[in-house]
Amino acid sequence: MTAEEDLVDYKEQTPRVKKYFDDLHSREAILKVENLGKVFGERPGATEALKGVSFDIHHREFVSIVGPSGCGKSTLIRILAGLETSTSGSAKLDGKEIKGPGPGRGMVFQSYTLFPWLTVGGNVTFGPKMRGEPNVDIENEVEKWLKMVGLADFKDHYPHQLSGGMKQRVGIARALANRPRILLMDEPFGALDAQTRSLMQAYLLQIWRHVDVTILFITHDLDEAIYLSDRILVLDANPGCVEEFVEIPLERPREPEQFLDPRFLSVRHRLDVLIHGEFPKEANELSFIGGEDRFADDKAD
Amino acid sequence: MDWFAIGREISPKARGIVTLCSFLLPLAIWSAFSYLPFLWHPLMEVTESGGSQYFLSGATVERSAFDQENAKLAAKGLAEVEGVPVNPVYLPAPHEVGKAFYTAFVTEPRLPDDPWLHESLWHSIKVIFWGFLLSSVIGVPLGILCGAYSPISRLFEPFIDFVRYMPAPAFGALAVAIVGIYDGPKIAIIFIGTFFQQVLVVANTTRGLDLSIIEAAQTLGASKLQLLTRVALPGILPDLYRDMRILLGWAWTYLIVAELVGAKTGITSFIHQQSKYKIYENVYAAIIMIGLIGLFLDIILGALGSRLFPWEKNSKPGLVQLVAKLFGHGKEAKPS
Repeated sequence: MTAEEDLVDYKEQTPRVKKYFDDLHSREAILKVENLGKVFGERPGATEALKGVSFDIHHREFVSIVGPSGCGKSTLIRILAGLETSTSGSAKLDGKEIKGPGPGRGMVFQSYTLFPWLTVGGNVTFGPKMRGEPNVDIENEVEKWLKMVGLADFKDHYPHQLSGGMKQRVGIARALANRPRILLMDEPFGALDAQTRSLMQAYLLQIWRHVDVTILFITHDLDEAIYLSDRILVLDANPGCVEEFVEIPLERPREPEQFLDPRFLSVRHRLDVLIHGEFPKEANELSFIGGEDRFADDKAD
Repeated sequence: MDWFAIGREISPKARGIVTLCSFLLPLAIWSAFSYLPFLWHPLMEVTESGGSQYFLSGATVERSAFDQENAKLAAKGLAEVEGVPVNPVYLPAPHEVGKAFYTAFVTEPRLPDDPWLHESLWHSIKVIFWGFLLSSVIGVPLGILCGAYSPISRLFEPFIDFVRYMPAPAFGALAVAIVGIYDGPKIAIIFIGTFFQQVLVVANTTRGLDLSIIEAAQTLGASKLQLLTRVALPGILPDLYRDMRILLGWAWTYLIVAELVGAKTGITSFIHQQSKYKIYENVYAAIIMIGLIGLFLDIILGALGSRLFPWEKNSKPGLVQLVAKLFGHGKEAKPS
């Protein structure tokens, strides 16, 4: 285990990274969340899921939200998608108050939620078709977005014929085909196996690089959050509120080697401390079982 | 292979054999009682009167009476009555019923105004068709609306749930008074028997739709109407189809009761007449025909269903492309 004193300061940024963040902060804040709160149910017995959440997200920024379970990160993203209403505060996209779902905010769900009766192509064009965009460039659009997610050959397949990773790529293409200002992703890779997951992370970074879109990404995988994001919003639980907005001191483009970068490890350590607090002594391998119950051999050492 | 492992399917070959046995076993039991003279056969058919004055050749008598008569004749030293054991007239042998499947269709009705068997069957099918169609035209949309929108559900479902417990035949006399004596009340009985269940079943199916699919469509900018017509409707279509198959089976079971209302018609009237004439093989044939028509209808609908929804996991390709080609839509045509 890395001793704490060996870690570099996670707030220390190389000139290149510093310049990147200066540029980022100078861009317009497209999403402004102010003092947002959400209470479920009526008093008494009401539970406060979110309390006084405030943050800005800039144009073309990649932001992740992490936090312990029950910190209300899903509630937050559902409010931003318009699927849930807040009980206090405000959330504005491009200065307009968010009221209900809208095509400006694309959503990618953990459970894929593809329309099973539509082909891959039909799923991708669903948004534009519903909004009555002229038919002429829809075919081109499908080709373009499917090529972007590497599924150009699967246009006429039905969702049940695809693997989990492919389904989620269709989900991303479907959301992007609507040309949203911001893409909201609720643990999109949570149901995928580890290998598919890292492949999907690479895909997502490529897509983000080539498409004019801002991404807000929820995950419980801290490494994933660090690898993908510009900044990470750390939420505290009961009720959910902002604990810290961490800037990731890693250069782009991101590469898998950066998982071993000391700055990566220092951010990782900071997130661990923020989310778990001091690491509990019970997590030590030898602390649980003692005396009579201890298994009498030393093979594990 | 383990035949009795809970939740495990047996091999396809074994499945076929067992399914066949499901029909062969009852047939075998029926044949045994019909063709093995030592099994049951409580009556004697007289073949030779002998010395008896009452037991005429061709008559059927109780076995005890037959034995008594023979005992009497033996005491008087007269020739005994000869006979063979037979079953009652209401249990014809399989081959007789099998023959009736053909002869019932070609035998002219005894009264000149009576319909032929095929006319009776066709009449029955028409009654079911109209009853089920009318019920579906109102029941399916109402069910979908109930499943989709809570206020509509709260407005209709409690009352429908209440009416559902009233047996449809109880409305027979009312139906005659309201819609007259011809096919109206019969169609009404089928309608009543189907409609109320249909609304509730379809509403439940609609409620079972994965809500996250609706949410996904919302975030893609679908309007309220589009959520209903372009998402909820295609989303439940395969389940709705399965519901309709089951409901059609229920409608089928109301047929006989419906046809008894007012003047007897259709296959029911045929069954009644034949049993009056004591031609029981025709009665059996007619009952089995009702079952067979229902079974074949279900098999056809099932086969159709597996091709109708190519997005279902175990669907077979073909039908949609075929229909699309017929109507000149090319391969882009989609069922939604």
